[in-house]
Order: sequence, then structure tokens, then C-alpha cells
Amino acid sequence: MIEPALSALDALFDPIRLAALFAGMLVGMVFGMLPGLGGVAAVSILLPFVYYLDDYSGLAMLLGAISVVYTADTITSVLLGAPGSPASAPTAIEGHALAKKGEAGRALGVGFLASMVGGLVGAAVLFFAIPIAGPIVLMLGTPELFMFALVGLFFASSMIGKDLAKGLAAACLGVLLGVVGPAQAAADFRFTFGQVYLLDGFSLTIVALGLFGVAEVISMLAAGGSISHERMKVTKWGDGFHDFWKSRWLVLRASIIGVFGGFVPAVGASASTWVAYGHAIRSTKDKTKFGKGEIRGIAASEGANNATVISDLVPTLLFSVPGGPAAAIFLGALFSFGYYPGPRMITQNPDLMFLIVWSVALTSIVGAALCFAVTPMLARLTRIPFAIIAAPLILIMVIGAYQSTSTMGDIFMLFLLGGLGWLMKHGGWPRAPALVGFVLAGPMEQYFWLTNQIHGWSWLTRPGVLIIGSIIFIPFLLSAYRWVRAHGQETALQVPVETDEDDAGTPQASKGVALVLAAIATVLFLYALWELFSFNPASRLMPALTIVPGLPLALWLLVRGVREFNNDFERDARELWILVALVAYAFVVWAIGLSIPTGLLIAWMLLAKAKMRLWTSLIYGGVVFAIIRVLFELLRGDAPVGALIPLS
Amino acid sequence: MQGLKISMAAVLLMGSTLSAAAQDGQFAGKTIEVVVPFGEGGATFVSAKFLEPYFEKHLPGNPDIDVVSRPGGGSILGANWFEQNAKSDGTTILFTTSSTANPFVLGQEGVDYRLADYRVAFSHPFSAVAYVSPSTGITSAADIKNSSTPLLYGGIAAAASDLPGLLSFEVLDIDVRSVLGFNGRGPVRLAFEQGELNLDYQFTPVYLTQVVPSVAEGRAVPLWTGGSMVDGVLKGRDPIAPELPSVYEVYEAMNGETPSGIEWEAFQGVASVTYAYGLTGYMHPDTSKEVLDAFATAAAAINADPEFQAESQKVTNGARLNAGPNTEAAIKAALSPSDEVRTYLRNLLSEKFGVNF
Repeated sequence: MIEPALSALDALFDPIRLAALFAGMLVGMVFGMLPGLGGVAAVSILLPFVYYLDDYSGLAMLLGAISVVYTADTITSVLLGAPGSPASAPTAIEGHALAKKGEAGRALGVGFLASMVGGLVGAAVLFFAIPIAGPIVLMLGTPELFMFALVGLFFASSMIGKDLAKGLAAACLGVLLGVVGPAQAAADFRFTFGQVYLLDGFSLTIVALGLFGVAEVISMLAAGGSISHERMKVTKWGDGFHDFWKSRWLVLRASIIGVFGGFVPAVGASASTWVAYGHAIRSTKDKTKFGKGEIRGIAASEGANNATVISDLVPTLLFSVPGGPAAAIFLGALFSFGYYPGPRMITQNPDLMFLIVWSVALTSIVGAALCFAVTPMLARLTRIPFAIIAAPLILIMVIGAYQSTSTMGDIFMLFLLGGLGWLMKHGGWPRAPALVGFVLAGPMEQYFWLTNQIHGWSWLTRPGVLIIGSIIFIPFLLSAYRWVRAHGQETALQVPVETDEDDAGTPQASKGVALVLAAIATVLFLYALWELFSFNPASRLMPALTIVPGLPLALWLLVRGVREFNNDFERDARELWILVALVAYAFVVWAIGLSIPTGLLIAWMLLAKAKMRLWTSLIYGGVVFAIIRVLFELLRGDAPVGALIPLS
Repeated sequence: MQGLKISMAAVLLMGSTLSAAAQDGQFAGKTIEVVVPFGEGGATFVSAKFLEPYFEKHLPGNPDIDVVSRPGGGSILGANWFEQNAKSDGTTILFTTSSTANPFVLGQEGVDYRLADYRVAFSHPFSAVAYVSPSTGITSAADIKNSSTPLLYGGIAAAASDLPGLLSFEVLDIDVRSVLGFNGRGPVRLAFEQGELNLDYQFTPVYLTQVVPSVAEGRAVPLWTGGSMVDGVLKGRDPIAPELPSVYEVYEAMNGETPSGIEWEAFQGVASVTYAYGLTGYMHPDTSKEVLDAFATAAAAINADPEFQAESQKVTNGARLNAGPNTEAAIKAALSPSDEVRTYLRNLLSEKFGVNF
């Protein structure tokens, strides 16, 4: 084992291969930072170049990109509050709250170090996995995967927040979004309104960008000024190291959660990141800071998402079953080079296996170091008026969304869900449970159905199921025990946590918005209930599980909303207009193509919002416009063409 | 802009046909866009990338080939895009599988593309092999009805690429419980290896690289292949595993007569577009004969290319490209089944598998 490991290291230290690895890493960093564009976009843009290189260099290039994306996305999540990739949404919640307090340096330091550790744990698992992970993956049958989804749900319950009704309703709404599209159990397409676009359901990227990214940009744009009102202390890395060291065991545990997330095909980094974040909440005594800038939340989620993306390679290499979307493209590249991963690859191509391990480990370290190096420069972005960054930021989110299907539906959905995210933010509904509900709805339904079809109910006695189940029951029993012992004391049971909004930026939830949102949710749940009866019985279970609690909750919130109503729309009017402008932008793009409305949007933001001078804005706006067009060309080959006037 | 594009294309096309004799090749300096309506790592995308250099080498004028993935709607979105944007000069190709053909044949909602009107540039087989777990006690295809445990098949969705497999169980009249709802054939194979399922179908590259080693280790027993087309009937042996019988032969051995009837017709139609013509490059309905001939000639040249032969031996056990009028006729026939067959398929899918039309 040592000998092929060393010869693979030697093979990697060939100058061309190292250059390819670091070139891939740079591309991965840039795409990690661009919100909505992540590993998949980075790998697909590199793919054509890979074929000009030899096999080891080409694969090293892809690995460089894959393994650094979840390190670099921390920067965007912390500084701009828009998740750099869906799996860093928890980082966006906690890190951005810290950034607003001027503590971006701390948040980033912990984020980078946790990412690095996550990456290294992933690499170590790959290294040792080679002989042992095969049996572990084979032990994880569908019943065990279902139990993992339940554990995720259990951890997610800690994100419900102070207002129980709103938190649960948000989770139900998320699950409802998650069941749109093909039913796992029977051949039903649910809630698609006859739209081909919805046949695959919602894309995770668009849901994460819409709920968190768009809403954040709108608020910051309306507030005017810069992101941080305090001077950012990014040069003080010492605090970050200190914080990281204090949460080192949490990072390690989160990385292990992430590794298991990677073992499970198609459950991806988002689910394990949320599980790790939920674990951080549960294992922290003072839960009051979650949602308002808790460093442990960042440590856990960054450790987990990096570990997942690397251990995604375990099922990919051992069974040819990609663990995630970026791993799927990597698998395609392996095929193209004539490698067919499988149990035999370990004996047939030990060098290649170790080359992968070294590439991933090296990029994790160098990538984190590079992130430390560039952050002081990027942090200056937070001091300039936000309106200047807003235009390119929104347009990059549009491109990110457009990667899902390259149809106008992507852009409409981005702003529609952006509207929903905005309503939730202002109506006091926590968004984290909604995203978790969305992420877990699919796997829960799928694995429950498959498990029951294959095993009947006998699966409940499988040893794996019992072991995983104990993750839920032991803490449950412990808290019950504590409750009995400290009976009567108010604080004995876990204190519910507010995980969503920051304390400084957003004041009290708007009564008007809360009412509107409750009304929308009620209509959605009522409609869902009506359509439910047209499905095959097997496809009804999951929607029913969310409608049954969701509808009464929404009705109750509606009643509460009417009772508490006062007309405070005025307060958010500025933000509402920006939201309207963005939706209008989507419609105009649909009607007359990308170029004209994009030019107008940039002009409006720079002249009206940022109050730039004509000439400066003309030059800057021109550059932004050109970059956006080039990105559209590079990534998809064509920009949306107008339906009424066929321009692009 | 689109109008402009089309007229530009027309000018280019006219220009190229006029000067075809003078130029060294009709595709010189052009880019051919190959649209794959699935994701980037998928089998169809990988196959398109595999064929790309050979078409660049053998098409007249050595065009640039650009493989573009347009996933969504279970391949319907990408095919609809092709319907709206394809050029008729042979520079846009829809490269896809039965996942696009089945919704068209069944007349599902959201299908805007007229697949049966498209011209066929070339086609590549995408064979499938059925295999069982040794725990069933089955040792060969003839044994299939004597399983010691109930047969459990895993699949994705009845109306998609699982359709021919499910129809083969109907033809052979085997009692199989089908668990549909997996994410892909990879997870299905994993569930097979975990012992959760005991009957599976896998397609060419995965069969050769993953299942064959399992067979050697005694963890899987291969049964039959979908078969290959011989004189318009899906009865021949498949080059991927010439030692295995086709579904046709298995039926013959079981029943002492050749298969016939509506089940067989439905199976043959669906299975031929899934297996024998599994990966097909479609072109705009108005594509000229010159362009189609150029692709047929290129396909023949690729088949004769020793480099292609060596590579395909590794990946597909030496499968060859099909092109020309006979291939096109067979595909078009399979895409336009009789009303009887269509009704049978729709009834089977809605009654047995709960598909809504």
C-alpha cells in the first residue's frame, strides 16, 4: 500500500500535472465563489480541456476543481450572505451575521480551516477506504439510507426556531416544494401544472439561491450603503485559529457526518451539511447565538460539506455509482480515459487511486491557504456601496440558475422563489427548515418506498437500522431523563433556537407580510390537498404527510395574521419595489431576450441605486455586461432568446 | 435573430452545396452541435464523447464536433429544444436513447418533438443483459421459472428505459415483482450487490466492466440479452455476449414455438429502439440526402477504422455503427407502432404500473 502511494505522489509531482491540478483549483475557487455556480459548472467548463491532457493530468485538473469549491464558497457566503453553493447555506446564515458585526475575519478563518480539515478527513477516508469502505457502502442498503434521512430530519428539528408554528409551517412548505415533480413511488408527476419544466421538480441550486441569495440581495440593496458598517478585521486571523481550535472536535465529528453523506449515492453535500449544522446546535450549550452569528455553526457545516464532496468519490470509485453531480462528471471523465471504476480498480490501478487521494489532500491545503491570501482583498468589497456589487451578483445568480435546464423556467423560478424567500424573511418564517425539508423530502420518500417494497416491515430489525436509529433515540432518552430529573425547571429541555435572521439588520417581522405569506401558504396547501386525490395511492403518502400538519398550521397563522394585522407594508416598500423590478426583469428577458433588459437592469442599479457617475457607470456596466455575455457563452452556448422579439 | 440564424443557415447550406464539388469537404470549417438531452456524466454523454473524434476524423471536411448536454424533463426538454432550434444542414444532431423515444411513442404530455419525422444520421447499439443472483438457484435462462425465491427487479420508471425489460417479463410470462423508483441503474446495481434485489438488467459498458467480473466471482448469473435485428426481427444474438440467448430464443425454448402476438410486437418495437438502435443521432426532417449520405459513408469508414475497432472492443465488445436507409426504416417503424400496440402499451402501463396519460 505504501509503495503505490509513494509512486503516485511522485507521479503527481510532475510539473505539468501539478500545473493542471492548480489550474483546476483556481477555476474551482472562482466557481465556488460565484453564487449558484459550483463544482458541476467548474468541472463541466474544464471538461473540454481535460481531453487535451494525459489521463493523470486531466483527472488531477478535475479533482483540483472539485475539492476546492466548498472551501471558496465560504467567502461568498460570509461576505455577501448569498450561499456560494447550496451546501453552504448554513455558513451564509451564521457567517454573514458575523460579517455584519465586523467579524468576517473570524468567520472566514474558521470556515477555511474547517474546510481544510473536512477535505483532509475525506482524503484520509479515501486512503483507508480503499480496503474497508467497500463493505461499509454495501452495508448501507435502502433501509439504512432511509434511517439516515430520518436522522437528518431529527437534527433539522433544532432549526425550527422560537415561533413553533412558523418554523413547522416553513418545514412543511419546504417538503411541499420537494415533492413537486416525479413521484418516487409510482408514475405520477405531482403539482406540475402541465409544465414540462416541472417534470424534474425544482433544482436545489435555484431553491437555495432563491430563498437565501435573492432575498439577501434585495434587503441589502434597499438598505443602501455597504455590507458591513464596521471595519472588517480580516487581518486578524488569530481569532479564527483560536475559535477553530476550540471547536476542533466538532469539526472532526462534522467531517465524519460529511463522509457518511458522501457514501450515500445522490444524497449530496446539502443534506449532510444541514445534519452537521443541526448537530452543532444540539451539541452547543448556549444556543442563543445560532442564527445571529454562531461560529460553531460555520465550523460544523464547512467541515461537513468538504468531507462529503470528497467521500462522494468512494461509491464512484468502488462501484461506478457517482455520489454526487460533480462526481458523476468525474466518472464520465474516467470512462473517457478508459478507466472503469469498480472493486477491481484498487488492484488494477493502485497508482490512480492514490493519485486521487494526493490530489485531493494537496488541493485542500493549498486551496485553504490561497483563500486566506485573497480574502483581505475581497473583504474590501464589503466596504464599497453594495449597489455596485448587486448588479453582477444578481446576474451571476441568474447564470447559476440557468445551468439547471437552460430554459426561461430557471430564471422565473429563481425570482419566484426569491419572492418567497423575501416574504419568509420579512414574515418571520425561518428559511433553514424550509430548505432542509426540501432537501430531505426526496430521499425520505424514495427510501421509505423502496424499503417497504423490498423488505416489507422486516427492515426494522436490521442491525444497521438499529444502530442508526440509536443516534436519534439515545439523545432523546437522555433529554427525557434530564427532564425527569430537573422536572419543574424551565430550562431542562432544549431551548428552541432562532436560527434565521440576524439581530441587528432585521427588526420585528412585518405583520402585513406575515399575513400575505400565511394566505399564500394556505392557498398552496389547499390546492395540494385537492390535487392529492388524483395521484396513485403510493404517491400520496409524502404530500399527505406535509399537508396534514401544513394546512392547519397555515390556517392558524392566517387567523393569527388577521388578528395581529396592522398595515406596515410601508416599511418594506423600498424592498418590495426591487423585488417587483426583478420579477419584471425576468418577464422582459422572456419577451425580448437577454441583452436589452440586462443592460437596463445594470444601468438602473448603477445610476439610480449606486448613484455612479455616467461615464464610470458606462465603463463599469459595459465590463459587467461583457463578462455576463461571455459566461453565458462559455457555460451554455446560448443565452435566452426572446419569445416575442427573437433577440438574445 | 432566430429568423436571421435560419436564413444564414440557408445561405450557408446553399453555398456549401453549390461549392461542394470545389471544396474538399462539405463540412469544412463548420461546427456540428451534438445535443445530448441528459447530464454530463451520463452514459449517453460519455458515448457521444467517445464517438466525437471518429466523426471529426471521417466526416468530409473534418468538422469540429461540439457535444452539448441539455438535461431536464427526463430528456423531453432537450428534445423540445432540438425541435425548435435544429438546423437542416446537418450541423445539429440530437443524440439520444429510448428515454426520448418512449414518451413520444406513448404520446405523453409535454412532448413537442416529432421524433418519427426526424432523419436518422447514425445509430449505435446499446445492448442489455439480464442476470440474476445465485441465491435464486437459477443457473441459466431455461431455469427462470424455477426460482427458489420470489424474483425482485429494480428499476427507475416504467415508461422510461425500464420498459423493454418489463415487457420482456411479459413476453416470457415470468412472475416478477418490480420495485420502481430508483435514481438510476447504478443504485439498482448497488442494491443487487447488497442482496436487496435479485434480478437486474444492465447496459453495455456497465455490463462488461461491472457485471462480468461479478459473474466470474460467482455473484451473478447471466441469463439473456435483448437480441439483435436479423431480417427485421429481434431474434439474433447480441455481439456483447454471443454466448447468451436472445429473449426470442428463450421464448422458443420455453414454449416450443416462435413468439408472436401483441406482447411480442410491443416488446420488439420498444426493445429495438432501446437496444439495437439504443443510441441514435437524429437530424432535422428537411436534412438533405447529401448530408445523410455523408454520415452513412462516415459511419462505414469509422467501422473500418482499426483504432475504433480496438477501442470499441474494450468498451462495447466490438459493437458497430449503423447508418443508411435500412437503419432509418427500422427505427421509423419502431417509432410509429400500430394503434393496437400503442393501446396495449398504454393499458399495461396504466393498469400494472399506474402511469397516467
